[in-house]
Amino acid sequence: MSTYPGNSAGVFLNGSPFKKKKTNKVAYAYMSPAILGISILSIAPILYTVYIAFTNYSAIHFLNFKWVGIQNFIALFDPHDPLESVFIPTLIWTFIWAILTTLLNYFAGLLLAVLLNNRHMKEAAVYRAILIIPWAVPSLISILAWQGLLNHDYGQINALLHVFGIPRIDWLGSPFWARFACIMVNLWAGFPYMMTVCLGALQAVPQEIYESASIDGASRWQSMRYITVPEVWKITLPLVIPSFAFNFNNFNAVYLLTGGGPPRPTNPFAGYTDILASAAYKMTLTFDKYDWAAAISIVLFVIVGFLTWVNMKYTRAFEEVD
Amino acid sequence: MSTNAGQVTLPFDDLNAKQLKMRKMTSNERVMLWVSRIVVWFIILLTIIPMWFVAEASFNPTNSYFSLSIIPSHPSFYNYSYLFHHTQFMLWVRNSLIVGLGIGFGQVLITAGSAFAFSRMRFWGRKYGLMTLIILQMFPNFLALPAIYIGLSKLNAINDLWSYMLVLLGGSAFNIWLLKRYFDTVPKELDEAALMDGANSWQRFTRIILPLSLPMLVVIFIFTLMGAFGEYILAGTILQTPGNYTLGLGMYGLISGQYAKNWGEFAAAALLSAIPLTVIFGLLQRFIARGLVAGSVKG
Repeated sequence: MSTYPGNSAGVFLNGSPFKKKKTNKVAYAYMSPAILGISILSIAPILYTVYIAFTNYSAIHFLNFKWVGIQNFIALFDPHDPLESVFIPTLIWTFIWAILTTLLNYFAGLLLAVLLNNRHMKEAAVYRAILIIPWAVPSLISILAWQGLLNHDYGQINALLHVFGIPRIDWLGSPFWARFACIMVNLWAGFPYMMTVCLGALQAVPQEIYESASIDGASRWQSMRYITVPEVWKITLPLVIPSFAFNFNNFNAVYLLTGGGPPRPTNPFAGYTDILASAAYKMTLTFDKYDWAAAISIVLFVIVGFLTWVNMKYTRAFEEVD
Repeated sequence: MSTNAGQVTLPFDDLNAKQLKMRKMTSNERVMLWVSRIVVWFIILLTIIPMWFVAEASFNPTNSYFSLSIIPSHPSFYNYSYLFHHTQFMLWVRNSLIVGLGIGFGQVLITAGSAFAFSRMRFWGRKYGLMTLIILQMFPNFLALPAIYIGLSKLNAINDLWSYMLVLLGGSAFNIWLLKRYFDTVPKELDEAALMDGANSWQRFTRIILPLSLPMLVVIFIFTLMGAFGEYILAGTILQTPGNYTLGLGMYGLISGQYAKNWGEFAAAALLSAIPLTVIFGLLQRFIARGLVAGSVKG
């Protein structure tokens, strides 16, 4: 190592510092807090979870749990096993939920961004400031509040519908409406983020492209179709993918609204709105089935990890250019 | 369509062009503008109504909230006074602030160091290290709940605000990636100039990169702070006595405990805690929008 203070002076002596191939060990010093934190708080619990997934660690076997191999994973997919009737319907709903909620939030955000990005609309900043509020309110507070608003007997949403002559809806008690409510509440809470992202992207599209297109005789619609949409898509995609992964495990949006309910008649572990993350949480805290919860967690990890990897390859967003 | 693109522009022509840009809208554009406005107004109405209902409930002392009213008939501060005198609301706020500010600053420091290394240095693991970590962290840490719980129990660190902060503080690979992209947009020439003047890496980091990246640092700080206010699963597992409750835990107790009875107090607490956060967020929103996009545009 160079004896010069901070090492970079040594780099300087060798001329052009940024073309140098030698590795810089100081880098590890800068990264050490993050590496330490991630190892102890992310990687170690994951490894321990993997271990638990291959055991029968649960309330019954709390002190004498043992290695059971891949038995938990077989149970997830075996039609004759009770775990399968929990896992498969919940897996399907988790996918429906994550896809619908991400797409709805994205297109609502994009629509608003396009409407607000109108240079004749002088007051657009005011609208944006108002529309951003649901994002600014911590989701824990707003979703719990929605639980109150959607209450069947007392909730103000049903009272409002009553004014329009619509009979009360059992928002949190019927499987269909509970799922509908989850998606709508998450739309309310999630569209401002997408709107902000899309507005930023719209404004990042270079103005010259539009000018040259209009010189070439492109219509408003054509520049929208061939410039705005592809450019915005290109810029926002790296943010849409994490958003999908986030919603896939968006515990708060589901659990704080419905508690996973209404319950399924076939099993006590996962209700109609439970996503895999909230089902795993209930198995841990309510039923002490650490082995099942860990196995489901591993499956979740594999699914989300795979989607993310494929999409990162596709968008090349996280790739290093060397 | 403008056709004078190739012509030599005289100052006078330029003036004309400016006038053209400021011309009155065509009737087509006017219709578009008003249609846009009406759609936006409608969406704003849908966005605001639920918030208004919550605000209304907080000033409504009767708690009979099926009666739909735009303004409560006998508005009072009863719910607020109840909140301050009969619950530990101030304690919850204090705990949440300690946790939120603590991990906000901590996260920025941890993230900035790593992002600097990834942006400006060469080392083994640079190419795939970050991507691997990002994929690993798609695994939300609350799914490892039994692992975390058993680990903390063995260390006798359950029901401790500090161990809760520590669990939340672990570095975020996604933040490192966002910040690294932002650092990449700071011109390398500035570093080179500093190198010429004999600056070491720490000086370049603290005097050049950090000040120029303030917007993104603010974004990460605010996101972390908001995350702390919204976190409840780990809080519920680790913090077990009401004296250690964070705002979220306390409010969850208010609404899920004796439900209909506490709706008014819950609404008051929601308003009191949401308003400061919302205002801070609104003031910083410009930074956030810029930071997010700057992070994703490839340089």
